[in-house]
Amino acid sequence: MARAVTTQRKAINTAIAWIVGLLIFFPILWTILTSFKTEAEAIANPPVFLFFDWTLENYGVVQERSNYMRFLWNSVFLAGGSTLLGIIIAVPAAWSMAFVPSKRTKDILLWMLSTKMLPAVGVLYPIYLLCIRLGVLDNRFALVVVLMLINLPIIVWMLYTYFKEIPGEILEAARMDGAGLKEELLYVLTPMAVPGIASTILLNFILAWNEAFWTLNLTSVDAAPLTAFIASYSSPEGLFFAKLSAASTMAIAPILILGWFSQKQLVRGLTFGAVK
Amino acid sequence: MAATDPMLDSGADFRTRLQNWLPKIVLAPSFAVMVIFVYGFIAFTIYLSFTDSRMLPSYDLVGWQNYERLFRVRQWDTALVNLGIFAGLYIVISTIIGLLLAIFLDQKIRGEGFLRPIFLYPMALSFIVTGTAWKWILDPAIGLEVTMQRWGWESFQFDWIKDSEMAIYTIVIAAVWQSSGFVMAMFLAGLRGIDNEILKAAQMDGASNFQMYRRIILPQLRPAFLSAFVILSHLAIKSYDLVVAMTDGGPGTSTWLPALFMYEYTFTRNQMGIGASSAVIMLMTIAAIMVPYLYAELREQK
Repeated sequence: MARAVTTQRKAINTAIAWIVGLLIFFPILWTILTSFKTEAEAIANPPVFLFFDWTLENYGVVQERSNYMRFLWNSVFLAGGSTLLGIIIAVPAAWSMAFVPSKRTKDILLWMLSTKMLPAVGVLYPIYLLCIRLGVLDNRFALVVVLMLINLPIIVWMLYTYFKEIPGEILEAARMDGAGLKEELLYVLTPMAVPGIASTILLNFILAWNEAFWTLNLTSVDAAPLTAFIASYSSPEGLFFAKLSAASTMAIAPILILGWFSQKQLVRGLTFGAVK
Repeated sequence: MAATDPMLDSGADFRTRLQNWLPKIVLAPSFAVMVIFVYGFIAFTIYLSFTDSRMLPSYDLVGWQNYERLFRVRQWDTALVNLGIFAGLYIVISTIIGLLLAIFLDQKIRGEGFLRPIFLYPMALSFIVTGTAWKWILDPAIGLEVTMQRWGWESFQFDWIKDSEMAIYTIVIAAVWQSSGFVMAMFLAGLRGIDNEILKAAQMDGASNFQMYRRIILPQLRPAFLSAFVILSHLAIKSYDLVVAMTDGGPGTSTWLPALFMYEYTFTRNQMGIGASSAVIMLMTIAAIMVPYLYAELREQK
């Protein structure tokens, strides 16, 4: 939609866009800044913005008092584990639907996608009761399976849309040259599928990292990830302002970095592929 | 047929049969997992909603009793009214702000590549963390209110989060903040997809900027509006993390939403039957929005 825009208009628009951007980023920025303040500075009024004594003390205290690393490890374990497991199950399924479609493929796909939109509350009881029955409440491995199940539809769907973008002519050319199924998979499809798989992994890692409904409901101590840890941190009144910020900052830091590189995939995944 | 070696023939036959069946075999696990864990488990929840389950599941059927009781519970009323307010405002405001941002960012803004991820961050970060940040900002004792007062605006008041009448609107504020950039990304993709030639032609015919948006651009964004509506509405009905982080349903039960109601009734009040019936109602609501949308998508893509 490139149209002639006067320089002055452009400058004004740019200024407004940046102000809005700053406003949107403010709560996040404030959390990060507060994590480097002392507790006194954190609740100082009027607030100090940049000119305070930067300190790393909060990070040390959070680790010391509540063994932050354990929650961090749980987050990494849950997000990484469920993503890996999901990819292993989903890649063959997506491959099959993208390259050997049958009449029902479209129906199956949309049906799979529809399951992702359903609220988690609909399956909370059976999963909760099953976890009790099997004695795996607050168990990391059980939660990996649950998170994988929750995100499997979106993994299959994303992989499918990426695989679908691989031109079929290349496969036909390979087949004409006498490539069998094995060669086709190994030398033709895999190299072209890697970017799509990587994007899906990134997206799913973010989704699983942020997951709160299941981690809050199915964990207490042993398997609790960062989301559960932060939710359990007591009220903001009192002296824990800066420390809570430190914990929050560590919880969002990986996503701030991953999100920067994967904004396209994020939009694509969260819109269920409606935006490519 | 008789001329070929039977051993070789059956070998080749097996290979082709395997090639034909392989796609179905590898699809089967995903398919089975979803059938069991989504529909099987939903069926179980529906079944529970017709039983007299309390702390533990019971298998004695009681008919529609849970549903009748559910709609007599005051907190369910609160949750439904809250959902109405929340979903309505959230969807409308997010769409408007998202659209405006997209139109804005489409004007060849300097540093667009830098701004876009920033607009998207709220949606990508854990709602538990951002909800906690909003809780401080909106807290009258430590956040915006007291800061404004110290900066000289003595009469400034903003204590909605502590006010049971207004608290639900603070959730709307945080939720709109969270989704606007994301909605923007959807509209921006739509705007970029519009054919330039049509716009140039309209401009030559003397169409004003406003007319161009009203008559040409907005109508072409219809698919984006539709997807935004479906995605935002299912997010609204599922909302849970943000409320838990910001108010935990309070003050009192004034910010309960259906998902929170279900959780509270099951785990703190031990009324699993009623909780299950509320879950079923939520499922049905989402299905009512989603099924027509997916059906339309399906027909379009065929």
